[in-house]
Amino acid sequence: MSDSTQFDAARQARRITEQAVSWYIEQQEPLTERQRVAFLHWLRASPRHVAEYFAVAQMHGDLKAAASLQALTSDALVEQAARDNPVIMFPGMGGVMRKPDEPRTGRVRRVVMAMAGLAAAVIMAWLGVGYWRSTDGRVQQSYAGDASVRSVTLPDGTLVQLDRDSLIDVHFDGRLRRIEVVRGNALFDVGKDTKRPMLVSVGGHVLQDIGTVFDVRRESSGDTLTVISGRVRVLNVPDTSLKGVDVTSLGSDAVADLTAGQQISLGKAEIGAKRPAQIAQVTAWLPADIRFQHETIGNVARRFNAYTIKPLVIENEHIASERISGIFHANNPQAFAAYLATLPDVRVIEESDRVRIVASNQTETKASRL
Amino acid sequence: MREKHGAWSALFAEKGAMLSKYFLRRVAHRWDAQDLVQEVYLRLLRIEPDDAANIRSPEAYLFTVAANLVKEHAVLRQQQPLGSDELEQVVEQLAAPANPEADMDSRLRQERLGALIDRLSPKCKAVLVMHYRDEMSYREIAERMSISTNMVKKYIVKGLAACRQRMADYE
Repeated sequence: MSDSTQFDAARQARRITEQAVSWYIEQQEPLTERQRVAFLHWLRASPRHVAEYFAVAQMHGDLKAAASLQALTSDALVEQAARDNPVIMFPGMGGVMRKPDEPRTGRVRRVVMAMAGLAAAVIMAWLGVGYWRSTDGRVQQSYAGDASVRSVTLPDGTLVQLDRDSLIDVHFDGRLRRIEVVRGNALFDVGKDTKRPMLVSVGGHVLQDIGTVFDVRRESSGDTLTVISGRVRVLNVPDTSLKGVDVTSLGSDAVADLTAGQQISLGKAEIGAKRPAQIAQVTAWLPADIRFQHETIGNVARRFNAYTIKPLVIENEHIASERISGIFHANNPQAFAAYLATLPDVRVIEESDRVRIVASNQTETKASRL
Repeated sequence: MREKHGAWSALFAEKGAMLSKYFLRRVAHRWDAQDLVQEVYLRLLRIEPDDAANIRSPEAYLFTVAANLVKEHAVLRQQQPLGSDELEQVVEQLAAPANPEADMDSRLRQERLGALIDRLSPKCKAVLVMHYRDEMSYREIAERMSISTNMVKKYIVKGLAACRQRMADYE
């Protein structure tokens, strides 16, 4: 598990960088008193914070010159950015590899993942289902649903809900994360892995996730894919075992791109048209209640996000790592958000595509900015 | 000392980015940056709680402490001290850096950074370039891209963090 220590160190370095950048950007306007105290506190927490802050300041000094090397006009840049959203994610070659450079889900998701990673080790031992091999960094395992819906956390932080009598095969190596939905119904909340794309194969199709929550249902009448939040690209790949797949060439075989709230039928030879999904219906197989005991808020929020196209995003890692217990109706994330709002120093901000959970002092900044 | 602090703060407010770049460059070539960080850190720890509450700008304080340390160090080593205490002279030096080696380094750094910016996601890239190259405000960028100013800020933070992480790989 020396890999995981290294991974932890990298993650910690990344977090310090993000904090340093956030603080640096905050200084563009006078800090509130509370922020001043928090900033000083942060600086005094570790010499690494001081060093990273200096490094960010130095890099910032180079930014104008560096950005001026960019040849594209702002019109062209804006146009590129618009094409990025939301349908065409990977315009041809190279895109697949480039994408992971830029984390889509931000710091909170990663923190949640960190915790999910810890949980994974426990669950592995406890499951005892399928087989479990680990050679030269590969992970292979089957997971089967049992008498009730089960929740499985994979080593990369991906959270899978498995319906009764469902079966998935998981195959991770250094290059790719591959999951095959063999039968039944599975819902994925994909963990972020900057190096390895996640590919889920369903019959003759492969779903390429781009940091998202989606549901796959396999039935004799055909397969259905529903995207709860984020986006998914459907690719046609003849060999669904993906053994010889060249990651860089995947982008060219896209047959459909789905965004939050969309659904598609995956036939053997063809795929249906995109249509709006009834999320409540799609997730009806999931437990009606979300019960949790001494669970982190970040993990609980992820469980709610399986049911809603408007995900809860915990933007503050302290909040995300706080542990709570309770029972909520799963189809009512608003109740959970309302509960979070009652916690000290927690603010809930409704936006059109998400519900943001931030620390109170964080909101002050946002408010003063607007 | 207190007076100087005020003056440095004012200078920093005006010339912040340049100042930090200046002493960081100096540090990189004349003093191990690690030593500076350690020393700055220790001084931060020594701040009394009462004084901490009175620091109007912790960032200016941070850079002031660092700049003073660089200066002290330069005096100790008798290597091209920062000039007199006259702030105007300091500013003049800022405007005309005379270290070709550092210039080479900074050009290389800028090229690397430029390449990293180019590899960001289209949105991060667009936001970063418009802000830093075209000097557009968050609000102007927000209107141009039909997103909120909040999102603009998020892309800036995200983009800078991604660049910084990759720049760190070069170190």
